[in-house]
Amino acid sequence: MVSGVSTPVKLENETAAVIPMPARAATSIHVDGVSMCYPLAKKKQRTVLENISLEIEDGEFVVLLGETGCGKSTLLRMILGQERPTSGKIYVSGKAVERVDARSGYVPQKYSLFPDRTVLDNLTMGPETSKYHILGRMLPGFRSFRKQVREEAMRQLEHMGLRPTDAGKYPHQLSGGMQQRVAIAQALMMKNRVLLMDEAFSALDPATRASLQRLLKTVWNESKPTIVFVTHNTAEALYLGTRLIVLARTSHEDHCGSKVALDMKLPGNDDGMSLKKNGQEFLDLVDYVERFSRGSRHDDQALDETGVDGEEEAV
Amino acid sequence: MAYFSPFDVQARPNRLLTQALSCLLFVICIGLYMQTSINRHKENPEDRVTPNAAQLANGIHASVFEPAEEDDYIPADDASKWERFKHSMIVKDTVSSGRRFLISLALLIPAVVLALHIGLFPWFGAGFLRFVLFFDKIVALSLLPILFIVFGIDEWSKIALIVIGVAPTMILDVTQMVKAVPQEQIVKAFTLDANNFDVAYRVVFRQVLPQVINSLRLNLKPMMLFLFAGEMIAASDGLAYRIAIMRRHMGMDVILPYVLWVAFLLFAIDLSLRVLNRRMHPWFQA
Repeated sequence: MVSGVSTPVKLENETAAVIPMPARAATSIHVDGVSMCYPLAKKKQRTVLENISLEIEDGEFVVLLGETGCGKSTLLRMILGQERPTSGKIYVSGKAVERVDARSGYVPQKYSLFPDRTVLDNLTMGPETSKYHILGRMLPGFRSFRKQVREEAMRQLEHMGLRPTDAGKYPHQLSGGMQQRVAIAQALMMKNRVLLMDEAFSALDPATRASLQRLLKTVWNESKPTIVFVTHNTAEALYLGTRLIVLARTSHEDHCGSKVALDMKLPGNDDGMSLKKNGQEFLDLVDYVERFSRGSRHDDQALDETGVDGEEEAV
Repeated sequence: MAYFSPFDVQARPNRLLTQALSCLLFVICIGLYMQTSINRHKENPEDRVTPNAAQLANGIHASVFEPAEEDDYIPADDASKWERFKHSMIVKDTVSSGRRFLISLALLIPAVVLALHIGLFPWFGAGFLRFVLFFDKIVALSLLPILFIVFGIDEWSKIALIVIGVAPTMILDVTQMVKAVPQEQIVKAFTLDANNFDVAYRVVFRQVLPQVINSLRLNLKPMMLFLFAGEMIAASDGLAYRIAIMRRHMGMDVILPYVLWVAFLLFAIDLSLRVLNRRMHPWFQA
């Protein structure tokens, strides 16, 4: 069963490489032979990612899974434009990524909201700045536009399961889960097709995490944006994604970076896989995926493996 | 008895005792002063080094209701108290010192803006940071003769001394604050289609402003210090000038009230900045 779900995407990548730019409109994110090296002391360098090529289609919910330090967040930051790949190119919505811009929404794990703005101001900030920049706020049309955006923000807020009374609160007055709800709402206000989430739920307690996962799944089902979700939690990945990409190092040498160890489609219908629904099949899949994410070490660690370290309870 | 041991970290003194203890040093100081004053007045009833209550009252009255110099405007004898207060020594000194202080405060605003740019924009950082680091190490007072030559010995040399003394520290401090703003915030702002100036002024500056005000509060003392140094060396009015002048004829009855007045002013500025900060930035926790 398990091997049946995984699909060889290698072929797809090669066809994409022939065409210099993703010609099909359906391609949302195109990662073209990207490597990333950090210089170390004494003229050495450490390769984090090695020749990664991916083709992410519009409306896919991609989950990037891997162990700590495998470079999954680095890959996300490169898609975002925050970091430049040492070699290779990344295209989002058909254009090469050079710097951080409004093509993709971003929900980080921490500091996701502006602490100096109320919830409502956090939500309206995107549309406001994108239409009226710093001096444009003095233009006559700004006030009516702001009113309109505020109404929309209140709708979005309620949609995210927050009370209207929360609108006037500052982020530090909200719980971690609430903050991430607002952060997702803030990104959605921009209505862009790509949403990048970096361990967005990793700092939350299991119950909150589960409710946010359900929320995210609903959001995705409604408008089908392209989501790239970075996590180290296999259960979360299986629940959320329609496609699972596992990054893992093949060896521990500094010159060897992480590669795509596994790239598979997940059922990812309205509600994803979970232990409760899929039972043993789910456990097998978790096992299977984690064998890949351990990469080179799965042989010598097979013995002291202590199951799937209880993370499934989060789902 | 261990309960009352001063070296018990876990001691829990009650409220009354805490309050009483915090007053103790004040009481001791006042007591010692009075003792000295009484002793000295026994030897010499005209003693000026430790003025007694009557002398102090006279000194305060003189500074609050009498003009500083003979050639200043002298209110008529039947003028109201307010009229006399307006032309008094302490008001004249406070106004002229305050003017220098406020002008240099205003000149620190461009310094803060520059610091924001240094911390945020890589090109500004490359251009300015090293120079400011170097400039910060120059002892401002050693520049005083140069300032006197360049700006003359009137107002601007003193203002320049304050700004040159405080601005580099302030710039370095604010630069650090700007750099401490989480990268996520800046990235997030860019994904919300902010441009560079939106990020600088509407995201980063807003976030560091309360810290900048706190840094300013810490720098009030150095500012006052440079102001006093300038005034004591070359001035014809100002709080420090008066203190320096009064020293020549042992006018402790005026010096002591002036010292306390300066301390009070500084405290008031600090308090108002703190209150302002809390009102303006209810989200700031520190």
